[in-house]
Amino acid sequence: MKLRTQLFVSLLAILLAACTVPAAAPVGDPPAASEPAADLLAQIRERGKLIISTDPAYPPQSELVANVEPPAETRCTGDERPANQFTGFDIDTATEIARQLGVEACFVTPDWTLITAGNWAGRWDLSVGSMTITPERMQHLSFTQPYYTTPAAFFVHQDNDTFAQPADLAGATIGVCAGCTYEAYLDGSLAIPGETIDFVVANAAVSGYETDVPALEDLALGDGVRLAAVLTALPTGLGYIADGGPLKQLGEPVYFEYLAAAIDKSAPQDTATLRAAVTEAIQALHAEGTLAKLSEKYYGTDLTGAAATFDLSQLDH
Amino acid sequence: MATFPRTSEDPASYDLTDPADQNAFAALLQKRARRHRRLQQLRIGLVWVALFVILAIAFSFLQLDLGYIGDNASFILLGLGVTLGVSLLSIALATLIALLGALGRLSPHPLLQGLSGFYVSLFRGTPLLVQIFIIYLGLPQIGQRISELGYPWLGTLLILTALQSGVLALSLNYGAYMTEIFRAGIQSVQPGQRQAASALGMSSLQTLRLVVLPQAIKLIVPAIGNQFIAMQKDSSLVSVMGVWEITYRANRFARKDSKYMEMFLLAAVIYWVLTIVSEWLLERLEKKLAESDGR
Repeated sequence: MKLRTQLFVSLLAILLAACTVPAAAPVGDPPAASEPAADLLAQIRERGKLIISTDPAYPPQSELVANVEPPAETRCTGDERPANQFTGFDIDTATEIARQLGVEACFVTPDWTLITAGNWAGRWDLSVGSMTITPERMQHLSFTQPYYTTPAAFFVHQDNDTFAQPADLAGATIGVCAGCTYEAYLDGSLAIPGETIDFVVANAAVSGYETDVPALEDLALGDGVRLAAVLTALPTGLGYIADGGPLKQLGEPVYFEYLAAAIDKSAPQDTATLRAAVTEAIQALHAEGTLAKLSEKYYGTDLTGAAATFDLSQLDH
Repeated sequence: MATFPRTSEDPASYDLTDPADQNAFAALLQKRARRHRRLQQLRIGLVWVALFVILAIAFSFLQLDLGYIGDNASFILLGLGVTLGVSLLSIALATLIALLGALGRLSPHPLLQGLSGFYVSLFRGTPLLVQIFIIYLGLPQIGQRISELGYPWLGTLLILTALQSGVLALSLNYGAYMTEIFRAGIQSVQPGQRQAASALGMSSLQTLRLVVLPQAIKLIVPAIGNQFIAMQKDSSLVSVMGVWEITYRANRFARKDSKYMEMFLLAAVIYWVLTIVSEWLLERLEKKLAESDGR
């Protein structure tokens, strides 16, 4: 028994020693911690590919394409997949960004939760996932120039002729999805980084819904039957109208949610140059009209205008 | 006295004082038992067919687009290899962990017992999905701190790919459940067997390897098989990290054209067939292991 205990203690000691010895004489990789962090953009250029996360669960931003052979020459390895395995606005934008950087776009597909959580551990370089810039996400992620926006707009019943502009909705019953930014806008608490918001509707009676569509359906029952108006994403409302919903848009969008590419703040490498390069690439894509064309293709309308003029430097203070 | 073996169905016609008649009567009883078994199997089969028809009728109300399923089945089936690979690798690792865990639990040493007990409690007491998230998301953060402390080789080791994280989480989780299975299996071997082995001068390792485990394995294997079947389905949880196995492919593909029922039913059928084949293989394995009992 005593012998066994001794044996055990010495085994533990060996184990401990094994953990401490490499500090003095490192085996395998050279110590990276003591050297300045490598530049991520330089690494991307060297390996010739930009690794982008996308969750193909959100058409028309990102969805799968079945039974397509990957291109014969691709640098994407392991669980990375070449661009032709997907389709969507995010995918095309990401591919264009990679083209601007002079590298191939390779995609990995972690769940959306894992993308927004940050701490990617260098598994991928960039998220191009129509991610709304929020203060909470900015704790873990740094955002690039937005590549498009989700405009928030009011919708009323097509029979209505008492409301001419959003400000006329003061005191009216307005349907929104509960917990969304639309609710925060109506109670005057909405804050969007880099944007000054004008709260034009006073004292609205907010009616919360699980999602946007039930609110639109209640509004479609008739002017003022259950709701006087709904505040929702412009594409959602226009889509409902295109499907035959008896509604109409009221005035111009009241605010924009900016959707940008994102980079992990805790990446093992230095990401400042990558952020600058991706921002530059997105600005170039805005300037040459590529993003506007893609927006027309996937959404049937140009949602990129406000994103092009967004002042990114406002996010940094 | 009869001069030929009787084949009459009437038990009263047999003269049970005659040895030849005794044999014939035994054959009659066996024949009846066989006939009864076959009839029983036929009845059970009919119940299966009836249930299957009811299920088919119920699903026909869903108005499934069968052509769509046919066109895209190959894309979902591509995930079969990943599902099988992840399950096989994980069950192999879990078996190894479970053996060590059970030995720890049965060891007289307090540290080994504590270690094994703590492991089983931790990994049996938390959800598999949460374990997957922590291993995939949390380990690299610990690794980063360790790297900063001057052990970059250890820090890099903790950054696992999606597939590695999934296999590790499944192995650790199932290893905890299977530790208990192994413990029960090992404990079920009669103490006399150990005493006899040590009387023959065997070391404790020899006793374990040559006497205890061969007997315990026979009891453990059916339970491991059961765990393997469960794991084939639980392996779908690795889809959250973007591993393209059956569920991931079905789920993400379904969103494309809003064909949820079509794709999920297809995935369900693939899993079901997979487990039926596994059950059949396991049954054969169990029969093979039981052969030595007949001696």
